[in-house]
Amino acid sequence: MSALSFVGVRKTFGPTVALQGLDLAVKPGELISLLGPSGCGKTTALRIAAGFEKADTGRVEIADRDISATPAHKRNMGMVFQSYSLFPNLTVAANVDYGLRTRKLDKTERKRRVGEMLEIVQLTHLAGRYSHQLSGGQQQRVALARALAIQPEVLLLDEPLSALDAKVRLTLRDEIRRIQTTLGITTLLVTHDQEEALGISDRIGVMSNGNLEQLGSPVEVYRKPSTAFVARFVGSMNELAGQVSSDAVDVRGVAVPTGAAHGMSSGAPVKLLVRPEDLSLASVNGHGLPGTITSTTFQGATTLIGVRLDGLDSLVTVDVGHELTAEHVIGARVAVLVNGERAVCEPA
Amino acid sequence: MQPNPSMANDALVTATQGHTPVSAVRSTTWRAKLGLWAVVLACTLFFLLPFLAMTRFALQNVPTIRLGWSTLFENWSLKGITQAFDEPGFGEALGLSARLAVGTVLLTLGLLLPTAIWVHLRLPRLRPVIEFITVMPYVIPAIGLVAGIQVVKPHARWFLDSKLSLIPFYVVLTLPFTYRSIDAGLRAIDLRTLVDASRSLGAGWGATLWRVLLPNLRTAVISSTFLIVAVVLGEYTMANVLLRQTLPTFTAQYRQREPQGGYGLAVLSLVLTIVIFVLISRFTRPKSGRAQGSPVLTAAAPGPIPAVPTEGDPS
Repeated sequence: MSALSFVGVRKTFGPTVALQGLDLAVKPGELISLLGPSGCGKTTALRIAAGFEKADTGRVEIADRDISATPAHKRNMGMVFQSYSLFPNLTVAANVDYGLRTRKLDKTERKRRVGEMLEIVQLTHLAGRYSHQLSGGQQQRVALARALAIQPEVLLLDEPLSALDAKVRLTLRDEIRRIQTTLGITTLLVTHDQEEALGISDRIGVMSNGNLEQLGSPVEVYRKPSTAFVARFVGSMNELAGQVSSDAVDVRGVAVPTGAAHGMSSGAPVKLLVRPEDLSLASVNGHGLPGTITSTTFQGATTLIGVRLDGLDSLVTVDVGHELTAEHVIGARVAVLVNGERAVCEPA
Repeated sequence: MQPNPSMANDALVTATQGHTPVSAVRSTTWRAKLGLWAVVLACTLFFLLPFLAMTRFALQNVPTIRLGWSTLFENWSLKGITQAFDEPGFGEALGLSARLAVGTVLLTLGLLLPTAIWVHLRLPRLRPVIEFITVMPYVIPAIGLVAGIQVVKPHARWFLDSKLSLIPFYVVLTLPFTYRSIDAGLRAIDLRTLVDASRSLGAGWGATLWRVLLPNLRTAVISSTFLIVAVVLGEYTMANVLLRQTLPTFTAQYRQREPQGGYGLAVLSLVLTIVIFVLISRFTRPKSGRAQGSPVLTAAAPGPIPAVPTEGDPS
């Protein structure tokens, strides 16, 4: 049984197709992120789930119950929005209490639940403040507490961290995951931040032009992207022009063994997409694609080296991890070795 | 209001970058302040002087020819106004104007608020059209509207014979002001997010309007109310042509008989309008407004040390 399902959901806005028949099932207690660029339809999917938009065709189900015709206020879904959505006329406690009041719970129960929720988001001491007296991160935590207080069947998060600065975003991301796993609440997160999706999700759905391109665990999506779009959108990718030759791709005379070219006709021009960590540097006299180092970027845990490949007019980025040596200086001649095991191939 | 340190810093940076001496910046600020106060003073005098002159004429029992500095403190009395209270028809006129004001406020807010909210949420492209329509009563003079009423009068006598039939016309008459006020209020809040948040928490449209939107549109609603009351307490043309004895028509007739008392009533209605406005804004002031910048901020009890580090407190 799925906690939340989209079955053939299609939505258009005038001539624009926002969703082209979305099929997605979120398991109970799971956190799925819908990841994609602006305009890919991820927010539309979330708003259809919340009941703010109506699908043209298809249906939305909660626990196998069709809720497509149920109005938003009767769906029992908690939602946290991108922009701070606290009611400015109410205190933090009254904001958290809002959904409980609409459900006409008795005062003692409401008070207990408000206290419990504020404790979970660690804002008990700010219960009497108004939204304009809180920072962005605090406001989003209150919004989270407010959404959770009504004990929703599904929690919907619409880019809740995008308005926050980097440090707060990281802290709150961990906090959302901690609370989600503690309460075991089914969650659908919409984000355009791949790092956020990779770090927080059980599964990621990568979307493009209203289609779900790939649905899989963060490792699967990163390591085994099913399409060139996913490969490019999630993480960094180097593009090498070549030709298919049996079970390899020939890149300027260097055969790169890869299963990605399987099924493609021999001699067909292709683009081989390879992650920076699947490239390594060797002495220029050895095998590999010769080139010249054009940049080195130290990133703390790792170092990225930019290499311009001879005759290819393409700049590749090589992740050398901690392997930076004295020879890796700008202008040095090197050979780039390609591990095609996890590469993706697309017709040029 | 607390000073904004970032703004102060911005000003400092601008001054430093432009190599402008601090004394020059101060001098410019002083000149700007002086100009501002001059405008405020001119406006105050422009509105206050006629009002004071009218008040003096109405409440001072001195022949007009003798009015001057030397007679400034002579024979002040409320007789002109109190005398009007005893006039037959005064109470009725005041009561009718009050009922018309309340009715117009209720009908305007009842129709305009949901419409404006709906247009903002669902039909934003229609906003220019609505704005154009709402400005029409301002473009068409009141006498034109009255002529229109006379044309339809034979067909709607059942309605126009009622004393309260002025209410819908006053709603139309005040539309240019009330719509703009409500529209500005709606633009100032994140309407869509607030509505969506409220509905996702289980509130229907009624609860959302009552518990979220109205409190956050407080200033706009008060402004609209004030404008409506002011218009209803001053509108003469329609009421006169339709033979309604409202406060303005009574005042005009009374002024012809008792000029001093007539102006006294005009002063009274002006003061009443201001008092109503002050009372409404005082009693509907949100709690957040009181809390803003108050010691509550700094006196908040310290909470438990969180397991996950929290970001800095903005206050």
